[in-house]
Amino acid sequence: MVGIFDFAPAIVLLPFVSFLVALAVGDRLPKGGALAGIAATAGSLLLAAATFLTVAGGRTYDATIYTWAEGIEAVDLTFGILIDPLSAMMLLIVTLIAFLVHVFSLGYMNDEGEVGLPRYYAGLGLFTASMLGFVVADNLLMAFMFFELVGLCSYLLIGFWFREPGPPSAAKKAFLVTRFGDYFFLVGVVAVFATFGTAAFSGSESFPVLAEAALHGEATVNTFGFAPQTWFTIVGLLVLGGVVGKSAQFPLHTWLPDAMEGPTPVSALIHAATMVAAGVYLVARMYGFYALSPDALAIIALIGGFTALFAATMGVVKREIKQVLAYSTISQYGYMMLALGGGGYVAATFHLMTHAFFKALLFLGAGSVIIAMHHNEDMWDMGGLKEKMPVTYYAFLSGSLALAGIFPFSGFWSKDEVLYETLIHGLGGSPVLLAAYAMGLLAVFFTGFYTFRMVFLTFHGEPRTQTASDPHSVRWNVKGPLAVLGVLAATTGLVNMVPVEKLLGIGGIDFLHQWLDMSTESLNAHHYGELIPYSSAYIGGEATTVAIGAGVSLGLALAGAGLAHLLYNVPEPVEHTDRLGGIKTLLYNNYYQDEYQVWLANGVTRPVARVANKFDQGVVDGVVNGVSSVSLFSGSRVRRIQTGVVSNYAVLLTLGLTALLLAFGLLGGWFV
Amino acid sequence: MIIEALIGVTFLAALVVFVAPDEYAGKLAAALSALPVLGSLWMWAQYDASGNALLGGSIAFETDVVWLTLGGLDLHWFVGVDGISLPLVVLTTILTTLAIVSAWTPISNRESQFYGLMLFMEANLLGVFTALDFFAWFVFWEAVLVPMYFLIGVWGGPNRRYAAIKFFVYTNVASLVMFIGFIALVFGLGDSVSSMRLPEIAQALRAGALGGFAGLDAATLKTVAFVATFLGFAVKVPVAPLHTWLPDAHVEAPTPVSVMLAGVLLKMGTYALLRFNFTMMPDVATALVVPIAGIAVISVIYGAMLALAQQDLKRIVAYSSVSSMGYVILGLVAYTTYGVGGATFQMIAHGLISGLMFMAVGVIYNTTHTRMVGDMSGIADRMPLTAGIFVAGAFGYMGLPLMAGFAGEFFIFKGSFASTVHSAMPLFTAAAMFGIVIVAGYLLFAMQRTLFGPFSFDGEYEITNAPTHDVAPLAVLLLLVIVLGVAPDLFFGMIQDAVNPILSGGGL
Repeated sequence: MVGIFDFAPAIVLLPFVSFLVALAVGDRLPKGGALAGIAATAGSLLLAAATFLTVAGGRTYDATIYTWAEGIEAVDLTFGILIDPLSAMMLLIVTLIAFLVHVFSLGYMNDEGEVGLPRYYAGLGLFTASMLGFVVADNLLMAFMFFELVGLCSYLLIGFWFREPGPPSAAKKAFLVTRFGDYFFLVGVVAVFATFGTAAFSGSESFPVLAEAALHGEATVNTFGFAPQTWFTIVGLLVLGGVVGKSAQFPLHTWLPDAMEGPTPVSALIHAATMVAAGVYLVARMYGFYALSPDALAIIALIGGFTALFAATMGVVKREIKQVLAYSTISQYGYMMLALGGGGYVAATFHLMTHAFFKALLFLGAGSVIIAMHHNEDMWDMGGLKEKMPVTYYAFLSGSLALAGIFPFSGFWSKDEVLYETLIHGLGGSPVLLAAYAMGLLAVFFTGFYTFRMVFLTFHGEPRTQTASDPHSVRWNVKGPLAVLGVLAATTGLVNMVPVEKLLGIGGIDFLHQWLDMSTESLNAHHYGELIPYSSAYIGGEATTVAIGAGVSLGLALAGAGLAHLLYNVPEPVEHTDRLGGIKTLLYNNYYQDEYQVWLANGVTRPVARVANKFDQGVVDGVVNGVSSVSLFSGSRVRRIQTGVVSNYAVLLTLGLTALLLAFGLLGGWFV
Repeated sequence: MIIEALIGVTFLAALVVFVAPDEYAGKLAAALSALPVLGSLWMWAQYDASGNALLGGSIAFETDVVWLTLGGLDLHWFVGVDGISLPLVVLTTILTTLAIVSAWTPISNRESQFYGLMLFMEANLLGVFTALDFFAWFVFWEAVLVPMYFLIGVWGGPNRRYAAIKFFVYTNVASLVMFIGFIALVFGLGDSVSSMRLPEIAQALRAGALGGFAGLDAATLKTVAFVATFLGFAVKVPVAPLHTWLPDAHVEAPTPVSVMLAGVLLKMGTYALLRFNFTMMPDVATALVVPIAGIAVISVIYGAMLALAQQDLKRIVAYSSVSSMGYVILGLVAYTTYGVGGATFQMIAHGLISGLMFMAVGVIYNTTHTRMVGDMSGIADRMPLTAGIFVAGAFGYMGLPLMAGFAGEFFIFKGSFASTVHSAMPLFTAAAMFGIVIVAGYLLFAMQRTLFGPFSFDGEYEITNAPTHDVAPLAVLLLLVIVLGVAPDLFFGMIQDAVNPILSGGGL
């Protein structure tokens, strides 16, 4: 019987076809290939929705569909499709946002008269296909391969405006920094193969299951002389290198703000909602492996908590709307890492979903503003746009309330659960988690502040420039996606109202928990809950802890938003952050993180390369030339040979060859 | 007989082209070189052998006749292919045809001689990859140098004489060292071999039939011979620090010659290392694993660092070959299916990708008449198709998944990390793998500077899209790189089949 899962490869292949179409004949199609992309992503969306419903019926799917390299007396390297509640949900998110971004691009790219549209839509198609391939990957190698391909698409799309100096430089940086992370990831992949002989995510022979068995002494794997626990931590941290790069976590976050050089719909799709999520998704996908290593989890939690706070502080002082959103993205992925490290698998997945919607919304909203502002992104040139573009305003406001974590918008629920899970596991005897929690909590305040500073500067007060008082209008293709995402950002929190359940005792409204529990034995949330090396403790009772946690984080968010209201929701705002003095300079320059990385590349690596080159030319090649001039031919002879005519060389060569053959024959005759 | 036909037709084609009028030579050579392409593809389709040609496996398209008897040893005309050599034969024929087409624009004097020498070189290369008798193999091996020497020395850049002489002397001295080392082995084997056929020698060596020779006991003789042959082949690969002839040769050589040099001639070195050192003397190879893997890592990292310091696009690609071939050495010494098989696959992958990159640089040079990074900027604006293929090729070189380079490199990494020949192999592997970061660094940097940014060019030439016959070989190579990246099993199956017999027995 043909089931919906047989169409799973088509979810990936449809956008790939749109890539080929846009690349081959995009310049002869109306809209530069946009329609092919819209049709393909719409098709993928429908298939993903059908798949989602099937999974909701309790079915999962894992099948090898292609043997990439068939090992002879060695393991096969395969591509397979794994569809379970986690990947089905992610498929739905990615296809939905890809579809909306394609539609939005009609307004942002086509209506603005950009050239090179086939290249743009080809890039979007290839990206969507690669991202979906990554999501359904059933083993770590396939995941790595598509992980790299999304990196290529990111490079191509960041550098879309290649005739300007900025975008190619940003594209290079994005690929290089993430490649640095991917190096560790790739070492991790080969280590997983060498350790377990498989890289499958799912099933009784998958590497997380084998690792668990090895820890219990029920299976033997090659741990290269280390204790299994230690070796699994090492492998986990190696793979984490790729995660830190792709999900823009400290210290490899520096590429993401630069990536804002790309077109804004690309920022929404790739650098907010989906590709950056790939790292977090990967940790969730192999959570059964990470949950075995307390040290790896602690490091993930610390990186996450620190990144959340660190990036949020930088978001406070930025002038450009997309820069605020970029640092906000880094910060929000920090929360997801915090949740994963803190044992909150469902919380992380939940925040991944809500963030995908509200951050895509905010970027598209910013895109709408940028169209209106004739591609000026400086918030200090805006102001008063609320009346001129109400649809954008209310959608953006919905996203902002979600980002700041204000009840009852989606971000409130997911961020609250992230912090709550970390808190109870920290209270259960993990001071590291408590420290990470504290950073995450403090970041809530900064988030509230920078979010509403952005809202007030952009939409409230009086227009501060001529452009802002007479903005360019936007069409349905911009407003439509904003409206859809605006509703989602407001409401998706309702799928997982854990605090309400706990406080009011209404059972069964933690739908996401139930959803992620439906996966197979080794991949469900319940199993992960048993694996994590944490115990829970509460302040007072469970309900009290829920109330305190939610109250504190909501209070901090409101305090941040309120401070922004006091300072910036005035007719003629001034830059209050100037009062921070030297701290502002430090924040504005991103703690000089870019400087030291550029210094590592240009100040250290390049000089070393130049020294190596001098050494090579002077010493290594010098010896070669020296030896040849003293021994084989004298210098003068070489010169004489060099000045000879071509036929002389032929004679020389023939003589040499003959001499060798003669020697060979004579020696042969002599000795045998 | 297909192999004789292949080599014979190519020799004949070389002769015909050599006497053809200059104005038709290029097109004629391209047309005639399509014959060996068809022949090699037919061989690939008909291939049904299994096992390793040297270790008792069945040999495809085999011919074995006594040719002459010299000094008591029978010299055979013994040719045939197995899963290791057939992919290299296919690579050689395809790359030669594409290199010939890519020469139409840059080569404008003595065309018939140029194309004749290209075909003459191809015939000898086919001989190198198919000969299974040492004597015949060595004749082909040496004869490859002759056309290459002229191709650099006559059609090269301003410093061509120096580069050609350096290439010739360096590699010929290396051949001499290798020759002495190998012949010492044959003498050490004494009566246990009756001919110079490589399978006979390989099996005798692996069976431990080696005696002493020239005052050396068997074990010492084997080590000395291994080192001598290794050094001889390492120059050809080239392995750092024996690589300095390569950048000079590449910079002076015209583009199509660079394509052959990087694409096929370097593979002679790794192919011979696999056939001779790693197949015949696995016990010595595994005893010397630390220095060999160390050299591999140094080649990868040092070669990549040198590439990073270059301002000439062609030098960048040239040094990156040193880096890529270091991976091959690492894979060979791993003695696992994926390690040695991956190394063999990487020979093909690198042949195609380096050919693609050299051609892409050549197309830019044909238009701009400069290869210096600082001399141009933003040329993607004027040559979008070439730039697009350049970008794709560069990502292939960086090991982008679903392109051939990733398959080769990943197989090697997977095989060498899991290798049991030495406990430090995971560390060697992890160190070599850092090359994938540096290669991204210098290629992305070069592309940003030359292809992207605001258009600027100081030269007097008008920069426009390259002619179709310049771009077509690039497109074909790119397609092949993607096909092999998506379906590596097109070659990898037969490669593994031929590699596996090497991995057991023979003192391992």
